Amino acid sequence: MKERAGSVALRNIVKRHGTLTVLKGVDLDIRPGEFFALLGPSGSGKTTTLRILAGLESHDEGSVILDGRDVTGSEPGERDVAMVFQSYALYPHMSVYDNIAFPLRMVKTPSADLDRAVRESAARVKIGHLLERKPGQLSGGQQQRCALARAIVRKPTLFLLDEPLSNLDAKLRLETRVELRKLQRALGVTAVYVTHDQEEAMTIADRLAVFMDGNVVQVGTPEEVFRKPASVDVATFLGSPPMNLLPARLAGRDVVIEGHRVSLAVDHGRERDVLLGVQPSRIEIGSDGIPAQVDLLEQLGDSVIVDLALGSTRVRAKLPERTRLAEGAGVHLRFDPADVHLFDPATRKRIGD
Amino acid sequence: MKRAFARRFALAASAGMLLSIWGFPVLWALLTSFKTERDVLAYPPKILFEPSLAAYRDVLFGASSIVPNLVSSIILSLGATLLTLLVAVPAGYALARLGLPAKRTSGFYVLATQMLPPVGLIIPYYLVLQKVGALDTYVGLIVIYLTFSLPFAIWLLVSYFEDIPREMEEAALLDRAGRLRTLWYVILPQVRGGIAVTIVFVFLNAWNEFLFAVVLGGNRVRPVTVAMFNFISVEQTRWASLAAGAMVAMGPVMLLGLIAQKHIVKGLTVGAVKGGGRR
Repeated sequence: MKERAGSVALRNIVKRHGTLTVLKGVDLDIRPGEFFALLGPSGSGKTTTLRILAGLESHDEGSVILDGRDVTGSEPGERDVAMVFQSYALYPHMSVYDNIAFPLRMVKTPSADLDRAVRESAARVKIGHLLERKPGQLSGGQQQRCALARAIVRKPTLFLLDEPLSNLDAKLRLETRVELRKLQRALGVTAVYVTHDQEEAMTIADRLAVFMDGNVVQVGTPEEVFRKPASVDVATFLGSPPMNLLPARLAGRDVVIEGHRVSLAVDHGRERDVLLGVQPSRIEIGSDGIPAQVDLLEQLGDSVIVDLALGSTRVRAKLPERTRLAEGAGVHLRFDPADVHLFDPATRKRIGD
Repeated sequence: MKRAFARRFALAASAGMLLSIWGFPVLWALLTSFKTERDVLAYPPKILFEPSLAAYRDVLFGASSIVPNLVSSIILSLGATLLTLLVAVPAGYALARLGLPAKRTSGFYVLATQMLPPVGLIIPYYLVLQKVGALDTYVGLIVIYLTFSLPFAIWLLVSYFEDIPREMEEAALLDRAGRLRTLWYVILPQVRGGIAVTIVFVFLNAWNEFLFAVVLGGNRVRPVTVAMFNFISVEQTRWASLAAGAMVAMGPVMLLGLIAQKHIVKGLTVGAVKGGGRR
């Protein structure tokens, strides 16, 4: 079988705004047909990266390679790339039909093909009945679908999405997320998806890149990134609530937290200070373990978030909602040694494995 | 119920009052235009009189026909309007998109040109046009009109262009429209309101302009405003002809106003509600 088109490679992309360096050498390889998320807090450079991919923004160093072809410096229209903008950027003076038809008209598609393609795209995103309307007469969700239809109508090799769900309400966002994934699978097109919402990235992406301060700090499947965050910053960015970090002292197979010795599964060598990370959902409350005090309870319905004071350190645990605890009560907490992440307090990088 | 009615009545009454203040001179001129010169001067003024088309015959087909002057006015107004658009649309677009440092300052400059009393400029303009041999030419007078209309038109259109999100253009570029087709298919249709307002503004100003036309024009370039002034002379003032001329001269601008009305109302409210005017 012929190799599917739609591979993306970014090589050492550097972008400066005056004295500020927005991207500090980004390297990425995205495989054909992959749903790839660029995840990171605002200002981390993910949207800039996407815009550089689209050709909407220039960069100072490095190269952009689409399907083995260096497109650095070529116009957005020459890249066979479609994009869904955060604001949708629908043309307000055109009907939904004309909006979807626009990319085809620009390449002088014969009218019979054009009509078929427009109706097919509209049907795919379930707005076939709205073709005569103007964007101003559509709801937010319908506008978003219209933008999607416009992007898929010309069957691009690369599909760029810039926070496409952020203007939808929570319920619609969850539904659309699933549909977007199905749509991408059905079309078999490579998709690059920018989001600051880690849950969105985790659920939708085949692989993701975590951006921090103009660098790609980790690339992997959502599970890899979640299971083995490469640094303290990644660890605290992922998960809701984020990972707990406790100052501790490593001694061979043991680690000492606030004077309490906990056994680890593996030997990490010489004695030194570490940051011990553990996901809130991996903490258990029991009759033995490290003593702590319950500060605050947050009911989430299906679970409860417990704020604990462990000496001078604060720890949050996510427990089943049936857990009966009182604020101010003394408890003991435990965790499986396999769920422990160790970070170097100086470099903030992951230690071991 | 009662209060709503009172409110509506008050609104209608004040609207009617304003309308009659505006409408009285127009109505008076309309009546005068159908009188004979003798009836015009009758005292007390005649409300009931035998209507006559003599004045219209005079201004349209008579010895002092204003038809050539209407043509002159149309050339001046259309010329000024078209040239203004031709320059102001690209300039406004460029200014809106380029982050020029002097944008605000230039905005003030534009307003300042509108504050200048035109009388103060007549003599310098006269000298300049004389030097280049453009007195009593269409080109000369149109260029003078452009010095007023162009800054204002650019300034007006910039705000319309700025209202269009940049992402809209980027979407069109990704849709392979290229720069020119993006401007034509995506940007311009969205500033229709602004273009309509510009057309009406520039056309009206050129059409009604008198001061520059009377000094910088002459026998060849004599718009209708100047021609009508000739009905007032030392020996007699031909009021009926003057009124008929005014009625005829009002025609084209009234028509333009009616056509552009929808766009103007839309255009004037742009910016009041973000995006409201564009849809």
